[in-house]
Amino acid sequence: RPITYSGADDDGRRQNRRKLSMPFVSRIRRQTDYNVFPSSIPIVIDNGASYFRIGWAGETEPRVVFRNIVQRPRHKATGETVTIVGDQDPALMKYFDCTRSGPRSAFDSNVVYQFELMEYILDFAFDRLGANGSVIDHPILITECVCNPVQSRSKMAELLFETYGVPAVAFGVDAAFSYKYNQLHGLCKKDGIVVCPGFTTTHAIPFVDGEPVYKGSCRTNIGGYHVTDYLKQLLSLKYPFHSSRFTWEKAEDLKLEHGYIAPDYASEVRKFQEGTKEAEEKTRYWQLPWIPPPVEVPPSEEEIARKAAIREKQGQRLREMAEAKRSSKINEMENELRSLRFLVNQLDQVEEDDIPSFLSDTGYASRQELESTVSKVTQSLRKARGEPKEEPDESEENTDSLNNEKYPLMNVPDNMLTPEQLKDKRRQIFLKTTTEGRLRARQKRNEEELEKERRIQLEEERRRENPEFYLEEMRAQYKEVLERVDQKKRLKTNGSNTNGNQKTGGVGRGERLSAAQRERMRLLTTAAFDRGKGEDTFGSRDEDWQLYKLMSKDHDEDDEQPDSDEAELARLSSRLQEIDPTFVMKAEEESNQTSGEAQRVRPLTEEDYKIVIGVERFRCPEILFHPNLVGIEQVGLDEMGGASIRRLPHDDGELEERLTSSILMTGGCSLTPGMKERLESGMRMIRPCGSTIHVVRAMDPELDAWRGASAFAADLNFLRNAFTKVDYYGKGEDWLRRYQIRYNNL
Amino acid sequence: HQVILLLRHFFCKSFAHTIKERIERWKIQAYEKYPKGQSRGRWKHLKQILQAENFQDCPPHEPNYVNIESPPSTQPCKRICDITGYEAPYVDPRTNLRYANSQVFKAVRSLSAEQVQQYLSIRNAAVVLK
Repeated sequence: RPITYSGADDDGRRQNRRKLSMPFVSRIRRQTDYNVFPSSIPIVIDNGASYFRIGWAGETEPRVVFRNIVQRPRHKATGETVTIVGDQDPALMKYFDCTRSGPRSAFDSNVVYQFELMEYILDFAFDRLGANGSVIDHPILITECVCNPVQSRSKMAELLFETYGVPAVAFGVDAAFSYKYNQLHGLCKKDGIVVCPGFTTTHAIPFVDGEPVYKGSCRTNIGGYHVTDYLKQLLSLKYPFHSSRFTWEKAEDLKLEHGYIAPDYASEVRKFQEGTKEAEEKTRYWQLPWIPPPVEVPPSEEEIARKAAIREKQGQRLREMAEAKRSSKINEMENELRSLRFLVNQLDQVEEDDIPSFLSDTGYASRQELESTVSKVTQSLRKARGEPKEEPDESEENTDSLNNEKYPLMNVPDNMLTPEQLKDKRRQIFLKTTTEGRLRARQKRNEEELEKERRIQLEEERRRENPEFYLEEMRAQYKEVLERVDQKKRLKTNGSNTNGNQKTGGVGRGERLSAAQRERMRLLTTAAFDRGKGEDTFGSRDEDWQLYKLMSKDHDEDDEQPDSDEAELARLSSRLQEIDPTFVMKAEEESNQTSGEAQRVRPLTEEDYKIVIGVERFRCPEILFHPNLVGIEQVGLDEMGGASIRRLPHDDGELEERLTSSILMTGGCSLTPGMKERLESGMRMIRPCGSTIHVVRAMDPELDAWRGASAFAADLNFLRNAFTKVDYYGKGEDWLRRYQIRYNNL
Repeated sequence: HQVILLLRHFFCKSFAHTIKERIERWKIQAYEKYPKGQSRGRWKHLKQILQAENFQDCPPHEPNYVNIESPPSTQPCKRICDITGYEAPYVDPRTNLRYANSQVFKAVRSLSAEQVQQYLSIRNAAVVLK
């Protein structure tokens, strides 16, 4: 597994080492003047949980700054693992397979614990600084957290001494360096407090006579990381559809750009709750890319006209065909009729006895048959010609005569018929009743329609008479019916909507059962009732098994018949929509759908792709002042000042005054707008009335720590504060635990 | 035997080094020192470090990592709605979420169980099954 180095080619060739050329994976340029610096110039490192800064002592800017994370992805083509320190270059990331390598940090909270990663980072940093060997021959000043556990400290010292051959090492606290630097520049006095909200932790350290008093310091485990995490989680939960968009880096960008601290959370949030104009201005919208689905252009006039013409032409053609067919049929039937009539005439002329022989040629058995055929054909001809139907009374007459013809056996009493004829008679009775039934049903329908028409007319009349009153009546009716329906629905679902994922329809403590649930319980208990051996006859009848159907949960829902109430509701609402301009149909609540599904049902609009960041803007940084909001039971920034003063071992009221009149804010998080005022008001709340509170922000909260350290290291007396390898191995762990540098050289 | 691969980069503008010392980079590479199988389990997390330190034995007035933790807050706890961020005087008994008014309550009741747990875990109040 190779380590990637990006930089100018180093000509050192050695045996057994294959060289591969690779695109470089860092945008940071390698410094070229490493060799200019003599061995006495210390290298200054600000080893922070967020950023790693390294440079030469005495300068004002660190040479190399990068994010303190390491990634070890595999190269897609060659399969080798490379190490990438700091932020990745997205253009080059496509060469690497990053699925199994997330960014890893050497820190756990603010303490270094992963020294393998630390070594990768130091390798990279030294290389970027220009070092071209494995031995760094300069003393090193490195920052650590407040009261660093001795194990971490010793491992760090070991790493520096053993692996890099450093001659001397010194450890310092970054917040203290920042304070001293600002003191040098007059922003704060020799007695004061430094409040440093960092990446994972926040510290408050009091300074007395220019030296930090760690006894009085306090640390809350909240920092910029938690703020970003909070924002990320809130947005992901608010917009679950887009949750893949909210990466940690994106959340951090949003926080840096839009986060601010409200001077008073409660009043600010009330502004948003009431929807004031100020709140509107403060809301930010992030529009995600969204392509509207292709809208079907409504066909233009010509299109419509053209289509209509085509349809008409087709219709015409069909009509013509139908006409042609009909006329041909009519012709045929006329021909047949004519031939039949001719036959009849001929029959009249022939004698009685010759009829059978005459008719046998034509295929008709008797004269009656012939006549009936003639009448049938005339009838169908008339129908084909489209003549109006016969009058109803005629049809009744017809039915009577038909009855006698169709059901000749009906009126004949039973005892005169043979068994076959009896069967026939029964069939005829059946047919008659069915046809009569159908007729009756048709009549009833007609009557109902007439009735409805009459009712509608009545309503119209009433409306025209008194429109206002009528409208009011309608509305009242509607409301009533709506309430009834709602109540029924509530009863049915028993007031439990879909948090019923947790306690699905079950009977919890204090839950009332709806009628359906009660019924089901009853069924279940009766079915499960143990009647003892021999008495259980369940299953002997087929109907018993219907019990399972009744018991099942789905039975409830199937049972829903459209209530008369709901039908009434529908009718009323449609009527109201027609006549009332101000009526808005109350949308039925989808009580059975989860929120996600209900939103997916309607087509996605542009609105769905707009991320609204309103309250979150100041809700997230608020956790710095109220860690309870994320479940961390510690004091926030404002109370930390008070806590640290309380911890100081003294009883000097004046000292407290001096402390609070020089409060410095440093650290990356303090760049949030609004923090200074909030901290000031917070301190004022907990200090006795009238004490001077003066809060000032460091000149450059991010870089001041490094600058302070650099100034410290450039001092001639620096080496007195550093310890060498000999010291380290000689004096043992206890000494290392008590090792502290003295800041007053600055 | 291990074949050590070292990747070098050829930068287009080569830097002219006036004094070029060809020091052999005979440094033992980090990944050799920490072979893959062991590295994961080797490093003690902060909790374990602190346990090993035995801070109880140290004199109490000396500051150490555990001593300087902040105390819990003495101010009354601020209760904000879990979903909207407004002030929340009410708590839903079924899910333990805080909500601000009846519309938010409807939204609370329509959340899925997973979402409820996620909201609670932001506040460190999720149900943790051990």
